[in-house]
Amino acid sequence: MVSGRIDGAGANALEVEVLAAVRAGANPLYVNLAEATFLCSAGIRVLMQYWRQMKNNQRTLLVTRPTPEVLSVLELTGFKDLIVEKA
Amino acid sequence: MELILQNRTEEKERLRPALEEFARRHRLPPAVLQAADVALEEHVTNVIAYAYKDVAPHEIRIRLALENQSLQIEIEDDGRPYDPLSRPPVDTSVPLEEKPIGGLGIHLIRSLMDEVDYRREAGKNILRMTKRV
Repeated sequence: MVSGRIDGAGANALEVEVLAAVRAGANPLYVNLAEATFLCSAGIRVLMQYWRQMKNNQRTLLVTRPTPEVLSVLELTGFKDLIVEKA
Repeated sequence: MELILQNRTEEKERLRPALEEFARRHRLPPAVLQAADVALEEHVTNVIAYAYKDVAPHEIRIRLALENQSLQIEIEDDGRPYDPLSRPPVDTSVPLEEKPIGGLGIHLIRSLMDEVDYRREAGKNILRMTKRV
């Protein structure tokens, strides 16, 4: 669960969380964005980078429950394939 | 409204409060505020990261105005000449495996704003973005 602004600084915090989950062996790794109010390209780069790393290891990273603000940015940049519906 | 930031990452924290204050005063819809927030974050981040060759302090001037039912944002820096609109458009249909990592910031700005133009004037880069309200 990543909350608040995923701006430049938020992207660094996101990376720390994602990396911890990768190391803990999560698969699939779900990134819950239900409480993220803002996403910019720095955050997308983190998601993309770890999606690729996971995929190269036959694992997967998925985004769940994006807020409307985050969904809009993922759609505009062509990254909505990262999203999976999950309760 | 004019906001002057120094070219340091932590200065970006001043953007959102200034934008919120402007939005409140002019009763801007949340979607316009959000679009401006993302666009400013993207461009100011790039200016701070790439515009300057030296380590001296520089000013980044941000002007916000509401004219003819449009939010006008101008971002002015005295960094090396660079037109972000010179980047080729991003093809968003490329599958995740092949997506390039760069160029997403200016792509987002173009997608979120109704008009974006760049000019070089008196040694300054000026990016002007317009969003209809």
